[in-house]
Amino acid sequence: MVFGRTGAAVAVLAAGVLLLAGCASADAPEVGEVASRFEDPAGDPGERCGLLAPATSAAFEEDVSAACVDAVQDLPLGGGSVESVEVWGGNAQVRLTGDTVFLTETTAGWRVTSAGCTPRAEAPYDCEVDGP
Amino acid sequence: MSRREDEYGFVRANALSLAFGGLFLATLVGQALSGVAEVNSQQVVDGLEPVSLLEYVTSSSFGVDVMENWQSEYLQFFLYIFATVWLVQRGSSESKELGTEGTESDEEQKVGRHADEDSPSWARAGGLRTALFSRSLGLLMGALFLLTWGASSVAGWAAFNSEQLAERQDAVSWLGYLGEADFWNRSFQNWQSEMLAVGSMAIFSVYLRQRGSPESKPVGAGHHATGQTG
Repeated sequence: MVFGRTGAAVAVLAAGVLLLAGCASADAPEVGEVASRFEDPAGDPGERCGLLAPATSAAFEEDVSAACVDAVQDLPLGGGSVESVEVWGGNAQVRLTGDTVFLTETTAGWRVTSAGCTPRAEAPYDCEVDGP
Repeated sequence: MSRREDEYGFVRANALSLAFGGLFLATLVGQALSGVAEVNSQQVVDGLEPVSLLEYVTSSSFGVDVMENWQSEYLQFFLYIFATVWLVQRGSSESKELGTEGTESDEEQKVGRHADEDSPSWARAGGLRTALFSRSLGLLMGALFLLTWGASSVAGWAAFNSEQLAERQDAVSWLGYLGEADFWNRSFQNWQSEMLAVGSMAIFSVYLRQRGSPESKPVGAGHHATGQTG
């Protein structure tokens, strides 16, 4: 019966929307944790630098003309506790009480691509630490 | 010379749908391979890791690229099936004869008491069953259009948000995505090509021929002869 099949199809579509939302939230705890650890000013510099995506780490070191481990403690990052996490495909955004961080999924786990980000209306966030 | 129908094996009798089923699969594979190559060239530019073919074909990016094309095909068939009930094109093999616009009589359509021994049971039954069966082709195409358009909106929303985050911008809700230029641009760019295809076929078939094709008038049929097939 056409209508029965259409009703089933609508149900599948609605399930797809919910599934997408669910899949996204499965990664949220890990994403939030990576962002928090990077933003922690008391964290070990080597560990914090290890949480940066390779391209962002290279761009940061070129910007400050120093090794990441020597410069990361001076970054003006607001940090704080995790307020919300958005995960879509291999990309994520974490809103902390004092900052907004963007991350990407790598074979080594989630890594920070941008941090110290402030919103600019319709334009992309302006970030202290950013990729290429 | 035409062969007797009972000499046809499964493959010969279903050659048209098998051929197009095979072409569909081959072109879908081509889309997957070229799509993952395109994504990975952008990943390199962004300083990110390449994605595997499996990761790509299970991504919302691939999903929206497939669904946005399927929804426009079903819209084309849905509109075409309905439009050809009411609108005619003089001289076209795609059109009914002038003067036969509308759903026609029960006798012409072999419905109810005019059904013969070959007629499907729902054509003979009358009432709601005949009413639904009489519209089942358009209803299915319309339902498939809505389903695939809905699926492309969901996949497009996920792909859009992934792009937003990669570009250091905020994600949007599904309703927010329905108001985005990305959704309507994808929809309209697919729809325009479908309308062009139907319109082209309707008018080309008036003046041009393809001998042996049922999509064409017979080679010697006049330009004003409507509704004939070759």
